[in-house]
Amino acid sequence: MIYIPADNPLTVAGVELGRKLFYETALSGNNQLSCASCHKQELAFTDGKQFSTGVDGSSTKRNSMALVNLLWTDNFFWDGRAKGLEQQVKFPLEDQHEMGQSLNISSRKLSEIRSYPGLFRKAFGTATISGELIAKALAQFERTLISSNSPYDQYLAGKYSPDSSQLRGMKLFFTNPQPEKGIRGGACGHCHSGVKTTSQLYHNTGLDTIFTDGGRADVTGQTTDKGRFRVATLRNISLTSPYMHDGRFKSLNEVLDHYSDHIDEQPKLSPFLKDLSNQKNTKGLRLTLQEKEDIIQFLQMLTDSTFIKDPRFSNPSLISQ
Amino acid sequence: MKHKIAGAILLTILSLTTSGQTGQGTLTVKGEVGLPLTITTAGLSEFRHAEANMKDREGNMHKYTGVSVLSILESAKVTLGKQLRGEHLKKYLLVKCADGYQVLFSLAELDPDFGNKTVILADRVDGKPLPAGKGPFRLIVPDDKALARNSYEVIEMIVSFAKD
Repeated sequence: MIYIPADNPLTVAGVELGRKLFYETALSGNNQLSCASCHKQELAFTDGKQFSTGVDGSSTKRNSMALVNLLWTDNFFWDGRAKGLEQQVKFPLEDQHEMGQSLNISSRKLSEIRSYPGLFRKAFGTATISGELIAKALAQFERTLISSNSPYDQYLAGKYSPDSSQLRGMKLFFTNPQPEKGIRGGACGHCHSGVKTTSQLYHNTGLDTIFTDGGRADVTGQTTDKGRFRVATLRNISLTSPYMHDGRFKSLNEVLDHYSDHIDEQPKLSPFLKDLSNQKNTKGLRLTLQEKEDIIQFLQMLTDSTFIKDPRFSNPSLISQ
Repeated sequence: MKHKIAGAILLTILSLTTSGQTGQGTLTVKGEVGLPLTITTAGLSEFRHAEANMKDREGNMHKYTGVSVLSILESAKVTLGKQLRGEHLKKYLLVKCADGYQVLFSLAELDPDFGNKTVILADRVDGKPLPAGKGPFRLIVPDDKALARNSYEVIEMIVSFAKD
């Protein structure tokens, strides 16, 4: 399902304005940060850091999320606190520890930059810049960040032949283990489902027993939601380290080790991770080294090299220079 | 007299369920309903008892007990039975879970005059409360071949009209 609000259809002018705003440092309190500071195209719109640094020099609470295929997403952040991209983009813009500037001040600053009033008029029919229109333009641009040309996409289209390791990894990824039938699996595809390799769900993946970050519970107020975080996309996952909501894992090997061998069996653990086993009477997936390597080989099939170089998504001011 | 009894039952349900805010261990029923409900585990006994046996993914049989989803919808004064005609046949029941999972049934799928599908809101399995992560309320759809609509941690039921 695609999510485009009726009051913010995608237009060529709107997307172009959103692209310019995405790279606009005037939207930050110190005129040094833009959306692209924490969402770099070459890193599939992440920043490669465990936590990002805001205008006040402080670190963000959570790892920067990849911006990809957001056209099919309507709840955002690791805790799902924003419904719709138009709402989502306002958080980092105004958060004092991120870009640190109110939308009113941003609107005034943009009004004083010669090119913007005309661009807003072209996109929205008015040269009067407002926070709502800034958010709408950014949302339009971000909805165009579509990654659909990875080797996995090409494989689905019958244009790519995976090697034996990738095929084994793909099978493991999408298979739930059934030890009584001798079927081994990684059970990844239950949550990282479909071609999007994500779902708009919140799960406790057994990372902690004591929660320093409430996760989804910060939004719902429910103790049962403590330690639950959004299922992340795996698109371009080999480019978006470090991993998890707090960037605790530096490599995919560490992620696979966690799900295979180190899940903390606790009451709040997702029921979809409980009692997963590849061997009768044994807890945990206990994947072999080869199986882990095969799954990583499959995950690397999700790297879309055209997406990270697509000029439609790059900084327009650099191209025009 | 019949209406008075029904009214008394509804008042009892409301008195059991509106004491607290929506949240832990509660289920809200809203949308295209005549009477929005907030149901707690304690208030579940006010609805029609139902039970079903169903195999888990490993093939082990379990007995689930709870209440009929149809009886919840009836209490919420949803258009069922003879009212389920014309444009009301475009209505559906959306079931939402704490982890964000959602599943859907058409009202006609559930109505005894149409699909008569058995759907249970269970709070116990094999005589015990549902475990953490699956309860307090789980949807049980015993006649479905796939298990995917047997949703955990149900927190909301929303009745709506299909658009388009």
